[in-house]
Amino acid sequence: MVRFLIFLLFSAWAIVSAVGVVTFANPIYVILWLLSCLIAIAGIFFVAGAELVGALQLLIYAVAIAVFYVFVLTAVPWEKAVKKDSHYRTEGILSLPVVLLLYLEMIIVFLLGVVASPEGKFREAMAKIGNAEVVGSVLFTKYFFAFEVVSLVLLIGMIGAVLIGRKESQTYEDDTG
Amino acid sequence: MKTIPVEAYFVVSMILFGLGILGLVVRRNLITVLMSLEVALNAVNVAFVGADAHMGLVEGQIFALFIIALAAVEAAVGLGIIIAIFRYRYVESTDEITDMRG
Repeated sequence: MVRFLIFLLFSAWAIVSAVGVVTFANPIYVILWLLSCLIAIAGIFFVAGAELVGALQLLIYAVAIAVFYVFVLTAVPWEKAVKKDSHYRTEGILSLPVVLLLYLEMIIVFLLGVVASPEGKFREAMAKIGNAEVVGSVLFTKYFFAFEVVSLVLLIGMIGAVLIGRKESQTYEDDTG
Repeated sequence: MKTIPVEAYFVVSMILFGLGILGLVVRRNLITVLMSLEVALNAVNVAFVGADAHMGLVEGQIFALFIIALAAVEAAVGLGIIIAIFRYRYVESTDEITDMRG
């Protein structure tokens, strides 16, 4: 029961933070709300018993990616941009029925899927030797190829980000010589 | 883990995903569009981990790890594209990038 109350606390925190992400106008406040939302979701992971994913959520999302967003937000000179309103208000109001329809469809699909969910086989092992060991042993045996492909995707993404972020003059000045 | 019903995880995930989609539609600044996308990705992670805690599996947590890695790639490439767009066009709004309109 206490666990469920903590879960409700963290989920309310996450939803309030997500509303802040959607509604606030200043991008600095938006990144702070996003950071709050990521920490709350890490709390949900800890309550669910997934310590490894929660810790990696804190380390990678709430530290690395959030700092990356803040860095880009401060590195780009936004005052040169033409200032406009921060939201598409009429489009948002018009798209609201579609979003509600998406909600309804997801509710139906989820509640149908809960009935058909299979029973797990790792619960005893997880209670015995801990969450991180079980996740690691399955990740590095059954999903080892997917793990390596993800590392390759990270490498390609890093190369692509470096190539895209380079200046145009540096890209083409060697062709003239 | 039995004390939290799996529907609770799904409802939280659904609300967060809907808010992320709404932010994708409503937001005008390019960086805040990407932040709304991060909220939607985290909602999917909540659904994976909640289903895992319900069923006693670990595959959902492994997929959550993969999603976190791919979100890092997406943030790097997306922010690189945003910086390139800003450097060439000086725009920050999504309706000003109309070069490919027919």
